[in-house]
Order: sequence, then structure tokens, then C-alpha cells
Amino acid sequence: MQGTHDIDQTTTADDAGEGLDPREAARLLEQTKREARRQFNLSPPWISAVMGAVILVAYGALWLSTRGQHPYEGPSLGVVGLVYTAVAVSIAVSVKVYRRATAGVSGPSVRRQGIEGVAILVSFLGSPVIQGAMKHYGASDAIVYGVIPAAAPLIIVGTTVLGIAASKADWAQFGATLVVVTGGIVAAFVGPSGAWLAAGIGLFIGVVGYAAATGKRLGRS
Amino acid sequence: MGADALDAVIHAPARLRIVATLAALPDGDSLSFTRLQDMLDLTPGNLITHLRKLEDVGYLTSATTGNGRASRTSIALTGRGRAALDAYTDALRDLLGGL
Repeated sequence: MQGTHDIDQTTTADDAGEGLDPREAARLLEQTKREARRQFNLSPPWISAVMGAVILVAYGALWLSTRGQHPYEGPSLGVVGLVYTAVAVSIAVSVKVYRRATAGVSGPSVRRQGIEGVAILVSFLGSPVIQGAMKHYGASDAIVYGVIPAAAPLIIVGTTVLGIAASKADWAQFGATLVVVTGGIVAAFVGPSGAWLAAGIGLFIGVVGYAAATGKRLGRS
Repeated sequence: MGADALDAVIHAPARLRIVATLAALPDGDSLSFTRLQDMLDLTPGNLITHLRKLEDVGYLTSATTGNGRASRTSIALTGRGRAALDAYTDALRDLLGGL
């Protein structure tokens, strides 16, 4: 079956199940299912929870950095650097987790995840496109560099993820993403500084809520 | 109902773990031999022996691509295998009065 391995046909110690007690079999079955679900899971709860905290800190810093600005000038360079670092670390961790979970896995679900990834990447272009259009038509910096970059990604990427979640009937992801989209909608109406706070709170609740739902699902027998 | 109601092909620790692990994948997906071996911590020979028994009764399929060192074997649970695990789980539940 596997040409690259030495075949040791004598190693069949547990070939027969006569000695396997049904209670032991039930325990082994549940333990194996739980461990397999954990290893194949793309969103480990504790990583999602940490990401939620990082998001809250980053968006909170953006809010604190821009609070009380009249006219709006945008966040300080230090805060921008912090946010970019947080985004880079989050992407690196996500890629590592995805690779580890899908190592050796092939088939329709992996192809579907690839297509979903492309759809999400494309939807990330929505916000800079709207920013460019707004700038082109003379919108203020408060709109172009405050409200739009805070609110638009949550609404545009969020609705893309909503569609993906609905197509998979993943209602935990659907509910969490709905919270994120709602945060984006609120962010669009609370001013350039408040937009960062509203977006951060929406993202934090959505990500941590999804982490809790995933943890509950993984722990369930 | 006694323990003889349990599917004898699945009712062995290694094969039970193989089937339960493959069942955690979405329907139609397959897993490489290497990853399955890593997850179950079985020797290659032991794993091959159990996979053959499961394949013989139609509970899983395997496909090898490439040649020599570059070869890759993928294993997938069939619909029949998934149904057998469901039936095995139901039989266990009946035996134990709920899992």
C-alpha cells in the first residue's frame, strides 16, 4: 500500500478485538474523534482568543491615538507600526495553523477552502478601492483615512464570509461574522475616531465568540 | 444485545482509531499515509496491515501517486465505511445505554 515504507506484517498485536471491552471501545472512539477534530481544526480556540485580544489592543490604540483630533489627522506612526505588526503576526500564525491542520489532507474541502480564500482576498480590495474613489471625489481625510478603513473591511469582507458560512451551514461562524458586520455598520456612523473603537469591539466580540463556540464544539462528545 | 453485535472489523483498537480519524475529515477528503501514521503513532507495517483489512471489506480506499521516494498514498473513508462506523457507534450506545 505504501511503497516507501518497510512492511512489518508481523506487527499486528491488536488485530483481534475480542479483548476490547465495549466501554473501552467507547472511550477510545470518543478520544480519537476529539483528537482528530482538534488536529484538523483550522481555528484553534486559544489562538482565536489571543487574536481577539490583539485586535482589541490594536484598534483601541488607533482609537486612543485619534481621539479628540479636530480636524482628523489619523493615528501616529507608532500606532500604525503596531497595527501592521499585529496584522503580520496574525497572518503568519494563521498560515502556520492552516498548514499544520491541512497537512496530508486532500479532496473537495481543501479545494473549496482555496476558492473561499481567493474570494476573501479579493473582498479585501474593496476598502482601498472605495478609499481611492472617495479621495478622487474630494472626500475629507476623516472619511478617507478614518471611517472607510475602519468600517468598510468589516462590512465588505464580513458579508463575503457571511455567504461562505451560510453555504456551509456553519451557524457559529455566521453568527460571529454577523456581529463583525454589525460592528462595521456602527463604525460607519460614529465618526473617524469612534469608528476604530466600534470596529475593534465588533471584531473582538465576533472572534472571541467564535473561539468559544469552536471550543464548545471540539469538547463535545 | 452482546459484544458480538459490534462490527468485528472495526472492533479492534487500531482499526477503530483509523476509522474514527478518517471520519473526522469532511466527506470525500483523503489523508496521506504519513499524516495518518503520525496521528495514530503506529508502525508502517502495522498500519498497512489494518488498512488492508479495512480496504478488503470496502470501508476505505487508497490511491498512490508518483513513484519511488516521491510516491504518496492517500486514504479515504468510503460511504460504506462511514455507515459502518455510524452503525458501530449505535451498537455501542445500545450496549452501554448511551455514550
